[in-house]
Amino acid sequence: MMNFPSLSLLIFLPAFGVIPLLFLKNASVIRWMALLFTFADFLLAIAVLMRFDATSASMQFVEHVDWVPSLGISYAVGVDGISILFTFLTALLGWICILASWNSIVVKIKEFMICILVMQSLMIGVFCALDLFLFYVLWEAMLIPMYLIIGVWGGPRRVYAAVKFFLYTLAGSLLFLVGIIVLYQEGGQTFDILSLMAVDFSLSVQNWVFLLFLVAFAVKVPMFPVHTWLPDAHVEAPTAGSIILAGVLLKMGAYGFLRFSLPMLPDASHYFAPLMIGLSTVAIVYGGFLALAQSDLKKLIAYSSVSHMGFVTLGLFTFNENALSGAVLQMFNHGISTGALFLAIGLLYERTHTRQISDYGGLMKIVPLYTIYFGLFSFASMAVPGTNGFIGELLILSGAFGANVWVGVAAVIGAMLAAVYMLSLFKSVALGPIVTFEEGTIWDIGQREGVCLLALAVFIFWIGLYPKPFLGIMAPALGQLLGQLGQGG
Amino acid sequence: MIEWVHPGLIFVVAALILPLFNTALQKIGLLLVPIAAILSVAVMTTGTYGEFNFANVFLVIGKVDKLTLVFAWVFTFMAFIGSLYSLHIKETSQHVAAYLYIGSALGVVFAGDWFTLLVSWELMAFASAYLVFASRAEAATKAGFRYLLVHVTGGVMLFGGIVLHGLETGSFIFGPLTTESGQWGGLAFTLVLVSFLLNAAVPPLNAWLTDAYPEATVTGAVFLSAFTTKTAVYVLIRTFPGTEILVGLGVAMALYGVIYAVLENDCRRLLGYHIVSQVGYMVAGVGIGTEIALNGSSSHAFSHIIYKGLLFMGAGAVIQMTGRRKLTELGGLYRTMPWTVFLYMIGAFAISAFPFFSGFVSKSMVIAAAAGDGRAATVLLLTVASSGTFLHTGLKLPYYMFFGKDCGLRPSDPPLNMLLAMGIAAILCIGIGVFPNLLYALLPYQVDFVPYTAAHITGSLSILMFTAVGFVLLLKYLDPENTVSLDTDWFYRKGARLFMWFAENPVSWWEKIISNLSDTVILRLLARTARDSLNIDIKGVDAIVNGVAHAALRLGATARRLQTGIVTHYAAAMIFGLFVCITFYSLIWLE
Repeated sequence: MMNFPSLSLLIFLPAFGVIPLLFLKNASVIRWMALLFTFADFLLAIAVLMRFDATSASMQFVEHVDWVPSLGISYAVGVDGISILFTFLTALLGWICILASWNSIVVKIKEFMICILVMQSLMIGVFCALDLFLFYVLWEAMLIPMYLIIGVWGGPRRVYAAVKFFLYTLAGSLLFLVGIIVLYQEGGQTFDILSLMAVDFSLSVQNWVFLLFLVAFAVKVPMFPVHTWLPDAHVEAPTAGSIILAGVLLKMGAYGFLRFSLPMLPDASHYFAPLMIGLSTVAIVYGGFLALAQSDLKKLIAYSSVSHMGFVTLGLFTFNENALSGAVLQMFNHGISTGALFLAIGLLYERTHTRQISDYGGLMKIVPLYTIYFGLFSFASMAVPGTNGFIGELLILSGAFGANVWVGVAAVIGAMLAAVYMLSLFKSVALGPIVTFEEGTIWDIGQREGVCLLALAVFIFWIGLYPKPFLGIMAPALGQLLGQLGQGG
Repeated sequence: MIEWVHPGLIFVVAALILPLFNTALQKIGLLLVPIAAILSVAVMTTGTYGEFNFANVFLVIGKVDKLTLVFAWVFTFMAFIGSLYSLHIKETSQHVAAYLYIGSALGVVFAGDWFTLLVSWELMAFASAYLVFASRAEAATKAGFRYLLVHVTGGVMLFGGIVLHGLETGSFIFGPLTTESGQWGGLAFTLVLVSFLLNAAVPPLNAWLTDAYPEATVTGAVFLSAFTTKTAVYVLIRTFPGTEILVGLGVAMALYGVIYAVLENDCRRLLGYHIVSQVGYMVAGVGIGTEIALNGSSSHAFSHIIYKGLLFMGAGAVIQMTGRRKLTELGGLYRTMPWTVFLYMIGAFAISAFPFFSGFVSKSMVIAAAAGDGRAATVLLLTVASSGTFLHTGLKLPYYMFFGKDCGLRPSDPPLNMLLAMGIAAILCIGIGVFPNLLYALLPYQVDFVPYTAAHITGSLSILMFTAVGFVLLLKYLDPENTVSLDTDWFYRKGARLFMWFAENPVSWWEKIISNLSDTVILRLLARTARDSLNIDIKGVDAIVNGVAHAALRLGATARRLQTGIVTHYAAAMIFGLFVCITFYSLIWLE
C-alpha cells in the first residue's frame, strides 16, 4: 500500500489534466474537465489525509527516485504533519478557484484552466518536496503561471503588477539559490532535506544562509519591508489568482521558514529571532494601519494579509510549543479565511465591477445570504471566538507574551486594528443605507457560489469549535522541530 | 416504556413545535397537549427521576412527592381550562408563550435542585411577560416592562441566594432553608425569601401583579393568575415552612388586598388585589408550619387556582364582549350575558367560601390551623379578610359589572370555548366543595380536618349573610370611582424616573466628554497614522522598488547608447579592453 505513489499522483494529477485540455475547444467542457481533475485531486488529498498517521513525526508516503546522482539530486517527496495540512489546503482551494472562475473568465478559458492546473501541481509539489533542488525548481516554476494569471486575466494595471510580483519574488529566490548551494557544499554534497537537517553547520555559515533564505521567504510571506508587491498583485489579479495567492503562495514563505530556516539553521534562527520578531511586530501593526487607510476592498484585505502573516512569523520565532502550533494553524486558517474573503469580494466584483468601498452600502438588505457569509469570514479574519482565527491568534498571543510583554502588547494592538478595519469595512459595505449601483442590481449567491463559500465556512467553524484534530496532526512534527531548535541557541 | 415523563417538558416541546402546524391542527393540539400532561401526572408515582450530572452540578429534574403531585394536578387542569378558553386566539405566539409559561411552572414544581428551579423560574418570568406584551397597547407595553424588570430583579436575587447557599452548604439539592427556631437565617436565606415573596406578591412587593394583570390579554391573564403566585406558594411551602414572619406577612397581605380592592375601579385589578389577599392565606399557612397549615395552604392553592381562573375568565369575557374594563362604565349586562353571570357567580361563591363550594373546604383549613396553633389574632383577621373578600368579589364586582346601573351595552355571551372553559372550572369548584375528600386525598399530609361541621357551616353562613346586609346598607358608599390607587410601585416608578434623570444628565455629560475625546483625538490619530503608513508604503518603500526598476531601465538605456553602429568605435573598445587585460595580467596576476 505504501508503495503506491500516492503523493506523486497527488502532485501530478492536475498536470495530467492539462493534456486532455489541450485538445478541447468547447469552453464548458474545458471548465468541467478542469473541475473534474482538481476535485479528484481534492478527494485524493482527503484519502491521503485519512491514511496519514497522526502519531508519528517522521515523513510519510515517502518516495525517492535518484534524479541526478552525480549531483546528489533526487526526486524525493513526503509529507509530515505540517505539510499534509497545506497539501490539503491547496487541494481544497484548487477546485474552489475553478468554480470561482466559472463565469468571470471569458477569454482564453483553456489557457487559464491550464495555468491553474499547473499551479496546483507545482504548489502541492513544493509542499511535498524533500529534496532542496526539487523544491527550488518547483518554487521558481510557480512564478510563471502566476505571472501569466495576473498579467493576462488581471485588471487595468496587470502588467505592472505581474512584472513587479515576478521580479520581487525572483530576486529573493535567486539569493535562495545561493543559499542552497552553500548548504550543498557545507552539508556533504547532497540536496536531501532530511539529511541536511541532521548536519550541524557552523554559526557563520548558518547566519549567512539564514540571511539569504530570509530574503526569499520574507518576500513570499510577505514581511516588512518587502511586502509592496502584494497589494498590487492582489488588486490586479483575477479572483482565482487572488485566492491562490493569498491562500497558498503566502504560506509558502512561512513554510520555508518552518522547513528550512528553523530545523537546518537552529543557531542562526535563535541569533536572528529578535530581528524576526521585530519585523513581525512591525508587519502586524503597520499592516493594520495600512489596511485602515484603504478605500479599495481587495487592497484592504491584501494589507490585512500582511498583518496576519506577521502574526504567523511572530509565532514561528518565539520558539515555544503553543506559539508554533498557533502559527501553523494560523497559516491554515489564513488560507481559509482570506481565501474566502477574496472569493466573496470576487463574487461582488463579478456583479458590480467596482472595488471601491464607497460604492457599496446596505448589502444586508439586498443580498442577505451573501452578507452573512461575508460577515462570517470578516469575523474569522478578526479572530472572533468560535471561528478558526481565534484559536490561532490565541495560541500565538500566548507565545508572544511569553517571549516579551511589549511584543504581546503590539500584537494585541494589531488584533484590535484588525477588528477596527474589518468591522468598519463590514459596516460600510453591509449595513447602513443602500447605495444604488449603475450596472443593474446585485443578485444573491447561487448554488455554485454557495458550494464554494460553504466549503470554506465549514472549516471556519470546525477549527474554531473543535481544533483538536488539526492541532493533533501537526503536534508530532512540531515536537520534532522544537527538538531540533533546542539543539541550537 | 419510559419510566417517567416530565409534564413540563410536554408543554415546552409542544410550544416549540406548535408554530409548525396550521390553525386547525393547532387547535386540536391545544386541547390534546394538556390532556397528555394530565395523563402523565395521573400515572406518575412518587420518587426521584431525571437525575444527572451537568458540568459538576448534580441536577434533579423530577422530584415527585405528594406536594409535587397536588400542584402538578392543578396546574395541568388549569392548563387545559386555559387552553380551552384561549382556543379562539389566532396569534400562535400567545399560545407558545402560554405553554412555555406552564411548562416552566411545572419545571419549578418538579425541580429537585436549585439550578433547575432557577432556570424554570426565569423562563416563567419571560414567558409570562410576553402574555402582558401581547395586548399590544401602550399601557400594556409599559406594564410588561415593569413586570419584567421586577421579575428579573427577583430572579437575580434568587440566583445570588442560590449561589451563596451552595457555597455555604456545598449542595444544590432543593430543600428547606429554615433555621431551627424559625428565626432569620443569613444572607442567602434573605435573598431567596425576598425573591419568593416577590413572586408571591407579598406587600410591599405586590405592585407588579396589580399593575400587569389588568394590562394582559384577556386569555393571558387567566394563565397569569394561576401560575406565578402559586408556584411561589409551592416553593415557600418547600423551603420556608414554619418561618414566623410569614404569618404576619400573610395576614397583612390578606387585609391589604381586601382594602385596596375597595378602592378599585378596574375589574381585573380588583381581582388582582384579591389574588394578593387569597395568597395571604397561603403564606400565613406556610408561616404557621404545622401539618394542617401546610395542607391548608396546598388545598387553598388548588381551589384558588380554579376559582380565580374562573373569575378572571368571567371578567375577561366581559372585557372581550364590551371592550370596557372599568366598573364605572359597566352594568346591567345580566340581560344579555346570562351564562357569564351564572358561571362568574359560582366562582364568586367559591372564593367567598360558601358551603358546597371549593373555597369552603380549603380556606377554612388554614383558619383552623391558625386556631389549632393558638393564634387568635390571626384567626380573627383572616376571618375579617374573608368577609371583605365576599364583599368585593362576591357582591361589589358582580353588582356593578352585571347588575346595577345599566351602561347601555347589550353584549352577547362570549364564544362557546370560553363558556365551556368557565363551565369546567365551575364544575370543579362545586365538585371539590361537595366531594372534598377527592382533594384531601391529594394533600401532602394526613388530613383530619372535617369541613362540614354544623359550627363551621353556621359560622360561615352568618358572616356571609351579614356581609351581604352590610353591602346592601352601605351600597352608596361602595360606588366605584374613576381613580388610580397609589400602591408600593410608586417608589420604583418615581425611582426609575430619577434614575433616568441621572443617566441622561450627569452620566451622559461625562460620556459626551469621553466620546468627544475618542472622536477628536483617538480616531483622528488612528486615521492619521493609517494615512502616514500608507504614505510610507507608497512614497517610501515602493518608491525605492520603483526607483530601482527605473534605475535599471535607465542603466539599460544608457548601455544601449554604446551600440553606435560605428565599427571604429567597437574596434577602439576592443583594443582598449585588450590593453587593460594585459596590464592587469602583467601587473597583478603575475604577483
